[in-house]
Amino acid sequence: MSWVYLVLAGLFEMTGVAMISRLHEKKNWQSLLLLLASFGASFLFLALAMEELPMGTAYAVWTGIGASGGAILGMALYGESKSWKRIFFIALVLGATIGLKLVS
Amino acid sequence: MTKEWLKVLVAAFFEVGWVIGLKHADHALEWAGTAAAIFISFYLLIMAGNKLPVGTVYAVFVGLGTAGTVLSDILLFGEPVKVEKLILIAILLVGVAGLKLVTDEAEGERSS
Repeated sequence: MSWVYLVLAGLFEMTGVAMISRLHEKKNWQSLLLLLASFGASFLFLALAMEELPMGTAYAVWTGIGASGGAILGMALYGESKSWKRIFFIALVLGATIGLKLVS
Repeated sequence: MTKEWLKVLVAAFFEVGWVIGLKHADHALEWAGTAAAIFISFYLLIMAGNKLPVGTVYAVFVGLGTAGTVLSDILLFGEPVKVEKLILIAILLVGVAGLKLVTDEAEGERSS
């Protein structure tokens, strides 16, 4: 079950990142509420997942799904640059981040 | 543009603060400081996303936050220095510098 929680935590982080873009497009309470609910749910499920999974693994998977998914949603829905250089450097940053979470 | 990147940098700095807080806080004042750090880091993150692409900003935010946490664990809490940690931090910084470069280039094209 903890892996299900972990994937849910990552997915909510991903939508949370997308809600930041939405908030800048539609500056209203609805957007802010969706943003807070997404990140809130993400942290809640992460905490649940961490009751059983080792912290480094949980953080690495969470960041992997959330930040890369957030970048993909940004390109798909909010017109962010799809240049290969940008994608390469995002992958470099996230790859190193996941590596650090795993070795720490 | 540099001002926007500064927001991401400061947001990551406060992220390190609240990660340490969540691990080590043990009385009311420290918990209040941790809560304040969470608020400040997310506020700056959201504000930086107004001008810069959010996917980029978020990747840099979690990346620098993680690097800062690993470094503070070594410098403040006596975690062992491992060569792979330092190599990964170096790779991460190359990625952040690259992202700043390509983002500023794209901005330049748009405004000219």
